[in-house]
Amino acid sequence: MKAHAIKNMRTSHYAISTLLLVSIALFAVTLQADDFTDQDLKDWQAAYESVVKEGRAAFTDPDLGNNGVVCAQCHPNGANTHPETYPKFQKQLGRVAALWEMVNWCILNPLEGEPLEAGSQRMIALQAYIHDERRGAALEPGKH
Amino acid sequence: MTDSSRRTFIKGAGTLLAGGLLPVSLVELVFAKTSDNFTFAYISDSHIQQISGNEFVRNFDRGLIRAVAECNLMDPKPDFVIYGGDLAQLGSKPEIDHGLEIMSALNYKTHYVMGEHDYYLDLGEYWESQLGPQHYSFDHKGVHFVILNSILTYDDWTHNRWSSGEERMGVMAGLDNPNGSPFMVGDAQRVWLKKDLDKVSKDTPLVVLSHSPLQKIYKGWNFWTEDAEQIQALLKPFNKVNVLYGHVHQIQYNQIGNISFNSAMATAWPWPYPSSFLKSASHVPKLTVKMNRADPFFERDATGWQFIDVNSGNVDVQYSLTDNKPRTVAFSDKKKQPQDTQYQDKTIPPQEHY
Amino acid sequence: MKKFASWAVFSLLWLVVPVSVAEPLGLPPVPVPADNPQSPEKIALGDKLFHDTRFSATGEVSCATCHDRGKVFTDSPLRVSEGINKLTGTRNAPTVVNAAYMTSMFWDGREPDLEGQSGQPFLNPVEMALPDHQPILDIVRKDPDYVAAFKTVFGKSGDQVTMKEVKQAIASFERTLVSGDSPFDRYYFGGETDAMSAAAIRGLEVFLNRGRCVSCHTISQNYALFTDNRFHNLNVGFERIGKDVTELANAFSAAKATGTDVDIAVLTNKNTSELGRFAVDDQWTSMGGFKTPTLRNIEKTAPYMHDGSLKTLKDVVDFYINGGRVKETDPVNAFQSGGIRQLDFTGRDKSDLVAFMKALTSPDYASEGEKTQ
Repeated sequence: MKAHAIKNMRTSHYAISTLLLVSIALFAVTLQADDFTDQDLKDWQAAYESVVKEGRAAFTDPDLGNNGVVCAQCHPNGANTHPETYPKFQKQLGRVAALWEMVNWCILNPLEGEPLEAGSQRMIALQAYIHDERRGAALEPGKH
Repeated sequence: MTDSSRRTFIKGAGTLLAGGLLPVSLVELVFAKTSDNFTFAYISDSHIQQISGNEFVRNFDRGLIRAVAECNLMDPKPDFVIYGGDLAQLGSKPEIDHGLEIMSALNYKTHYVMGEHDYYLDLGEYWESQLGPQHYSFDHKGVHFVILNSILTYDDWTHNRWSSGEERMGVMAGLDNPNGSPFMVGDAQRVWLKKDLDKVSKDTPLVVLSHSPLQKIYKGWNFWTEDAEQIQALLKPFNKVNVLYGHVHQIQYNQIGNISFNSAMATAWPWPYPSSFLKSASHVPKLTVKMNRADPFFERDATGWQFIDVNSGNVDVQYSLTDNKPRTVAFSDKKKQPQDTQYQDKTIPPQEHY
Repeated sequence: MKKFASWAVFSLLWLVVPVSVAEPLGLPPVPVPADNPQSPEKIALGDKLFHDTRFSATGEVSCATCHDRGKVFTDSPLRVSEGINKLTGTRNAPTVVNAAYMTSMFWDGREPDLEGQSGQPFLNPVEMALPDHQPILDIVRKDPDYVAAFKTVFGKSGDQVTMKEVKQAIASFERTLVSGDSPFDRYYFGGETDAMSAAAIRGLEVFLNRGRCVSCHTISQNYALFTDNRFHNLNVGFERIGKDVTELANAFSAAKATGTDVDIAVLTNKNTSELGRFAVDDQWTSMGGFKTPTLRNIEKTAPYMHDGSLKTLKDVVDFYINGGRVKETDPVNAFQSGGIRQLDFTGRDKSDLVAFMKALTSPDYASEGEKTQ
């Protein structure tokens, strides 16, 4: 009786260990959160750059607003948009605001158009382009 | 122009009245020979932009309307007006016509300078039919005025690449469009210029009107004239040379040897200084005290026009700047270069905070 | 002796210890010039001077005639003010309430502060019409109540009491006329989500966006003055001089150079009045420009604009929707501010915006004056 019980215990011990090892292996395979390859980086960079391109297209699109004026007319190469200074107090909005809100102000006012949703593809693209042209500028949130 | 009329004149520009502070260099010039002095107005870069049919972008219409109305306020009156180029945005007949209609409210004779936005749709055909030659010269009160078409470019780019004038104009209209081409006066016009200047004595003051800067400031935005050095060499032998240029939509001024350079503000909209684009180097003249940064809510902020006081052959530029204090960039006899009469050594935050 | 001494010390204390009141919700601390600190006695003296009709040619007009406490310190519903013998001027009386936050006084900013402003109406022929300030000085130097008050407040008597002290006292009184804590303030700065009606909340959004109001009628992160203290040509009344502006402007500049008084000229001549800020600073950019008024308590201070030409808040909103025109077919003058343009309002935007403006009334004035639509 005792030997049989011991054998059973050993079996179940092995079963548990195996189960544990398999679980750990599975866990390791399915949740490699910190592991990405050079190819991943290339893919993600390409994804970003395609959106920057979309942003440039929107930045020069006479139909972004309703009067044919384009962002690039006053902001060649995105100059004088100062993305690195946001959030900051924005006089035209009467409060501390984020970049996308000022982009919408410009679409509404000089471009006489309709504002975009914050998370819309177009708004994200515009921000991507604006930031990209300003690459390298040190962050200075709050600077007028 | 007498002293008392100059004082009224200065009043119009907003400098403090007699008894207050007159800019020092204007005080010096009061003692110069008054027969050498006269004034002309200089309005530029209106970019009248058609939306469709008879509808134009209101913002840019209002800028030109305001400049014309203020210019009509001048007392004493200017001798004439010079328009510095880019009347239209895409050079179309409706835009040129609409711009000329607004300009027709001016009470003075106007001489026109060609801008690239006027030119590249039809290579200036409609412009010439309304306004005459694209480059020419004239004399006024002992000063020789030369008007250049300095926004030409390489023949290949102009003639061989585009399926239509509209396409060509559309590319040139984008200041930062990488498919543009650098401005120049070009070989043929330089030949004309040399011949024209050969007839002028070296003592005669020159005022050269050009749309592009006749300097090399920033190629990416065509703040650039490809044959700048050659033009400057033609101007070098003269004692007093003043170049006035448009295109840049901002205050710039410089001195290269004996040549003073002064830019015009746009009536339409301001452009950032090239130094605010970090990805490539640029050469805004170190001398320049920048214009005040604009609040875009006020559509006329950082726009304006100017009147030019020609004093003994040198040029003082007075900027009328809506929603801002006026500025004066006057030729300093002491330093032999243009100087802002108020801010040259003491800039304020709106001029630095770019 | 002891009693006198303690009384003396007591009154000295009042002189030395500045009186400060916490600013209302939605407003910053009241700026007080270093050379004119507040005190209860000075404020009371200023109040008395403000209401004294003896300082006028007919003995019937005081500051309070056009700046009536019962009308939020205006003379609503008068379009332009009436001085002695009901003589009319050219401009609508601005409220004194919250004027302490302005960086210049009058519609054209021709005086830099409350002190400077207070001295002018006495001398204007259509206001108090005194030939000079001497009649005022005669009274304050001889009337026993004033003699005691000036002695207490400034330690001055006889010829030492000048217009400087008079103006400082009046300004001191006016600096207590601040009011915030409106439904908007409680909503926006006080976090009370039910302080404003749903319409007013929607109206705030219009104010900040489609209405393009906030750039001139400013709201800041922690307070709201509703004025940028700048001068703008909206196209109100300018058509009166539009065609003749060159002659008028140059004639005015010439007259000014030979000594014409700006205060008298602009209030006695309807055309000169339209020059606005230009008459003060001679700048083309200021042509036809008038100072942005505060919108606080605006519901109570009809009619509106520098010439009182817009009767109701609805009229005002219509004017702005039309791009600075009463009728869409009216002309727009060449000097109109670049901040003005036709607006894209839909549905309830107009009435919501009016509802928002009505939410700017402070509790102190909620029950006073005319209600406008």
